[in-house]
Amino acid sequence: MGLEKVIGNILGESYLTTKLDFIINWARKNALWPMPFGTACCAIEMMATLSTRYDLARFGAEAVRFSPRQADMMIVASRIAVKMAPVLRKIYDQMSEPKWVIAMGACSNSGGIFNTYAVVQGIDKILPVDVYVPGCPPRPEDLIDGVMALQRKIEKESVLDASR
Amino acid sequence: MPQGETALKKIKDKFNDSILAVVTFRNETQALVKKKDLYPIMQFLRDEQELFFNCLVNLTAVDRLELSDTHRFEMVYHLHSYRTNDRICIKTPVDENDLTVKSMTSLWKTANWQEREVYDLYGITFEDHPDMRRILLWEGYDGYPLRKDYPLRGRGEREKFNEYLDNIKR
Amino acid sequence: MSTLTTSSDKYSCSERLDDGRMIVNIGPQHPATHGTLRLLLELDGEYIVKCTPELGYLHSGFEKLGESMSYGQYMSVTDRMNYLSPLSNNIAYAEAVEKLLDIQVTERCKYIRVILAELSRIFDHLLNLGTQGIDLGAFTPFLWLFEEREKINSLFEMMTGHRFTTSFVRIGGMAADLPEGFDAEVKKFLGHFPKEIDNFEKMLTRNRIWMDRTKGVGVISQEDAVSYGLSGPNLRCTGFEWDIRKEDPYDCYDHFDFDIPVGANGDVYDRYLLRVEEMRQSVRIVLQALDNLPSGPVDLDNAKVRLPSKDNVYNRMESLIHHFKLIMDGHGLQPPKDREIYHCIESPNGELGFYIVSDGTGKPYRVRTRPPSFIHYQVVPMMIEGRLISDMVAVLSSLNLIAGELDR
Repeated sequence: MGLEKVIGNILGESYLTTKLDFIINWARKNALWPMPFGTACCAIEMMATLSTRYDLARFGAEAVRFSPRQADMMIVASRIAVKMAPVLRKIYDQMSEPKWVIAMGACSNSGGIFNTYAVVQGIDKILPVDVYVPGCPPRPEDLIDGVMALQRKIEKESVLDASR
Repeated sequence: MPQGETALKKIKDKFNDSILAVVTFRNETQALVKKKDLYPIMQFLRDEQELFFNCLVNLTAVDRLELSDTHRFEMVYHLHSYRTNDRICIKTPVDENDLTVKSMTSLWKTANWQEREVYDLYGITFEDHPDMRRILLWEGYDGYPLRKDYPLRGRGEREKFNEYLDNIKR
Repeated sequence: MSTLTTSSDKYSCSERLDDGRMIVNIGPQHPATHGTLRLLLELDGEYIVKCTPELGYLHSGFEKLGESMSYGQYMSVTDRMNYLSPLSNNIAYAEAVEKLLDIQVTERCKYIRVILAELSRIFDHLLNLGTQGIDLGAFTPFLWLFEEREKINSLFEMMTGHRFTTSFVRIGGMAADLPEGFDAEVKKFLGHFPKEIDNFEKMLTRNRIWMDRTKGVGVISQEDAVSYGLSGPNLRCTGFEWDIRKEDPYDCYDHFDFDIPVGANGDVYDRYLLRVEEMRQSVRIVLQALDNLPSGPVDLDNAKVRLPSKDNVYNRMESLIHHFKLIMDGHGLQPPKDREIYHCIESPNGELGFYIVSDGTGKPYRVRTRPPSFIHYQVVPMMIEGRLISDMVAVLSSLNLIAGELDR
């Protein structure tokens, strides 16, 4: 993020910045390496999305990295228990910038059917979420739609955001 | 003949005054026995050659607060014999003032974690248990969730996270 | 208010002890632990000296939730327990409630439940075998088996409208009857499925690396298996022949002709072979069930248990009242007061049981699941202490531990 800030300061708002934005965002959105943080049922649908029929690798998510240092997108699939919440936060903090989070499934969006003493009612209580994919579990096509929505969001980012 | 009938007869022969109540329902035999005689009865059921209940299938507890009974908790043990294909359910009352029961870990190894879970969710402790600590909830959790007087949505634990999260501002 | 720390939280990364041994923390977020399982390993080099499993990272309060929902509403919650074979859980719960109410479903319903239970068994074993492979480095069979799972997903979708957590079973029957053309599709799938299993077996069964990594690993004796309460494939791999479908048949399993595969050594290789063979036997059962499927109604004609059809609800007063009495708060099913039952089935994982206590109202007083995974997880320390870390991976995946069922 440091380099972008410098470039943003030097160039300011100009034609070069928009071209640079376009290239950087194009590179980032087409090579989103996911880190699957799947705990329960949605994890199975996520595995189905990453398999041969609904191939998420077509969208650049080729290398599924279980190490947070090597991934840029975290897909939080299914319910997060209160005991698991610090673990989730720690993993998120270990990811390096730029990073995005997709909350997949009703349980990570808002707690789902588990409105109980032990489930976090939505992971946005502990992480900033970029895309919410509803469903219980969402179909693989829904998750692909979520990844494409994230790609559209990334297109709108700019190097000037860091310096503003 | 309902399941567990022969076993019940043998228990009645040997431990007649330990049995508090017997219910036969939907082909199952459920016997309520006194807490102090629970361990000898279980040992008898496991070791007696004609009964040979070598599998403890299910170990749990029920909070009878709303069923307006004489005792608050009830420990429930489901036993199964692979030799005779017989099943029986043994229950014992646990009073709110004396929340300890003898552990069955020395008879069936599977009782270890199931008793930890009962301790975690109900607060009933087990004597001679090798590792009596919480299993599903975190240590230091205040309260026993499956009791009837504990609210479903909890008492605010799910809103508060530890200092590690509070220090991270986002 | 307590803070969220466990006594073993200080081992969130590896730590070196004074005598050269290390404590390594594996999980709860780790690709090789299936779900949110955590193991604290005390290592001497690569050998595991002591292992302490930690669980509860997916504890969601299922049992407490069951006490606040009606019997029918809890059906969709049971899907989320053993999420590899959701229909098995539905069937176990529905049968437990039917036992409590002392009602018998129709023959057609029983046959359909057998078909769905066996398809779920194949569904569960496919994923388990795939992940066993991928944990030890065999990526290709995982993708092949997942394609077969997609075909079963399409079958479920054709029948229920949902690929996965279907909640298709109802107390007293099923949500709907099988659609037209369903048995043709299933027969088409089962026609080429045994060949796919053969292809998969060619990759692994006589593979030198696979055999070296799984033979003699994770051995458990029969006495230990019975004492620890193991069931299902984990018990049968020791040579103990026990299957609830044969010993205590429920749902007309006694009408079908099938074999129970039994292992010999109680190791990972035996569990692998056992699951492959169980899939073949399930194919046999489903084909027999489809050929002999009786005609007739799927649902019970009992207005106190099963919702009347929408047609009748809109047009007849009686059906509207029955609908009202089953759905509205304060009404619902009327089981006997202060009675309890325990019912178990042979789920793909082992003996899945439901212990239900009723207080006479439409909501259960206590619903307890007897979770096979929770009980199987207890033998992991015994199986891996004294062995290498790489054996730990093989053992964990072979026991088919499903965190949803483990932690409930």
